[in-house]
Amino acid sequence: MKNLLYKEFKLCMTAPMLIFYAFVCMLLIPSYPYTVAAFFICNGLYFTFSQAAADNDLLFTTLLPVSKADAVKGKLWFVVIMQGLFLLLCVPMILLGNRIHPDGNPAGADCSLTLLGGMLILFAIFNAIFLPRYFRESHKSGKHFLIALIGVFLWVTVFEGILIASSAAGQYIPFFGWIRDNLDAFPKTPGAWTAQGILLAVCALLYAGANLLAYQKAARNFNSVDL
Amino acid sequence: MNVLEVRGLTKRYERFTLDNVSFALEPGYIMGFIGRNGAGKSTTMKSMLNLVRKDAGEVLINGRDFYRNESLCKGEIGFVMGEFDCYKKSTLKAITDVTKRFYKTWDDAAYRSCLKRFDLDENKKISELSAGMKVKYALALALSHNAVLLILDEPTSGLDPVSRDDLLDVFRAVISDGTRSILFSTHIISDLEKCADFITYIKNGKILTSTDVESFRSSYRLVSGEREQLEAQKSYLIGYKAHAFGFTGLIRTEDADKFAGCKTAPADLESIMIYTEQEDGHEESAL
Repeated sequence: MKNLLYKEFKLCMTAPMLIFYAFVCMLLIPSYPYTVAAFFICNGLYFTFSQAAADNDLLFTTLLPVSKADAVKGKLWFVVIMQGLFLLLCVPMILLGNRIHPDGNPAGADCSLTLLGGMLILFAIFNAIFLPRYFRESHKSGKHFLIALIGVFLWVTVFEGILIASSAAGQYIPFFGWIRDNLDAFPKTPGAWTAQGILLAVCALLYAGANLLAYQKAARNFNSVDL
Repeated sequence: MNVLEVRGLTKRYERFTLDNVSFALEPGYIMGFIGRNGAGKSTTMKSMLNLVRKDAGEVLINGRDFYRNESLCKGEIGFVMGEFDCYKKSTLKAITDVTKRFYKTWDDAAYRSCLKRFDLDENKKISELSAGMKVKYALALALSHNAVLLILDEPTSGLDPVSRDDLLDVFRAVISDGTRSILFSTHIISDLEKCADFITYIKNGKILTSTDVESFRSSYRLVSGEREQLEAQKSYLIGYKAHAFGFTGLIRTEDADKFAGCKTAPADLESIMIYTEQEDGHEESAL
């Protein structure tokens, strides 16, 4: 796996992938749907995968002494590392953003652990849709990306919508009120820390589960592909 | 034990079937894999390596089932599929740096020797190489990890005659210790005449024969005669070309006595292939 990852970083990773990490600064913009920042990492991954397809990367990898399933695993771990790195970069931005605009974010999720959870689900949706399709027809990565984007933006709408609704209707509907007080803003009480911590853990589990499913389906697809 | 054993390899497409392909290669030999375009050479090679998913059959590398020991077996194989056409914007150095990490038996001295022999500049990008140089780079990678079996699909295509000749010398050197073997497909039959010990001939997805070159050659004769003789003995000809003064064609050696009044001569590989491929339709020359 170490060698496959080395190959991904040395031969496959494109410059746009790194440039898109700068979009983590979007978390400092006042009144902005911050989950969208994570979309740019998906965009970077799309550029990288698209270039890899043009470079016959899957053929090269399959000729190396690795199985087709290992080739899929290598790509998946690369994706997980790139997404994990973005989430790590989000942490100082969340802390900084919380200081810059302490009154919260009227356009959606505040800088909080909930935001990280929302981004994890966004990545999970992207991986679950994009990767199995890519390993079936790598040369149609643009089409797969657009289909994955539908899922991603549906999630952004639902996630940000719930948090906006909780701010607006929190005083009338107790459930929304609980979300507003415990999940939306950066946690300040032990109860909010616990709620957001549990939510983040659940999102991490869902992310892991989605990646496992994506791997199984992608490996099955890739195994049936004629290169 | 055979270095390579292919048993009943089958792959079905809508309009083509690789049908029950079987052959074996012992250590220390070079096998030429011949057939027309679309006969199934590349499909066979790709199916052997799981690049194309087979429908049936098995492949053994040094006695081990390839599909159950894919990583291990691939480590023992050097594979060239025409010119190297990956990572066009990367340098040879970067690609080699990645590739060598996957092979425990990587031999840096052998790699350097290939670079020198093939006149390859490691600092060049793939996009800066000519078609022939790309083939040479693919060969350099395949020859640098002590592979016991080299599977080469059209390795000499795109190379100039001097490089081709040099490469055939490399092939002979590779198998000289008797432990390694080469299976290579080519359209340049003269290359096979120079170095192949065995021939496997595929036609329309089926193996016509897999035997040593001398047996293959000696089982055919070239025959030439007059028009009248052609009409009388047409049914014994595998393929022929008729012209104003008579005909030339290919026969099986056991049928030579049927052509008593004709001139016969030993058949070369190219003629065998040309006339065999005519089997379904003979050619009438305008001359």
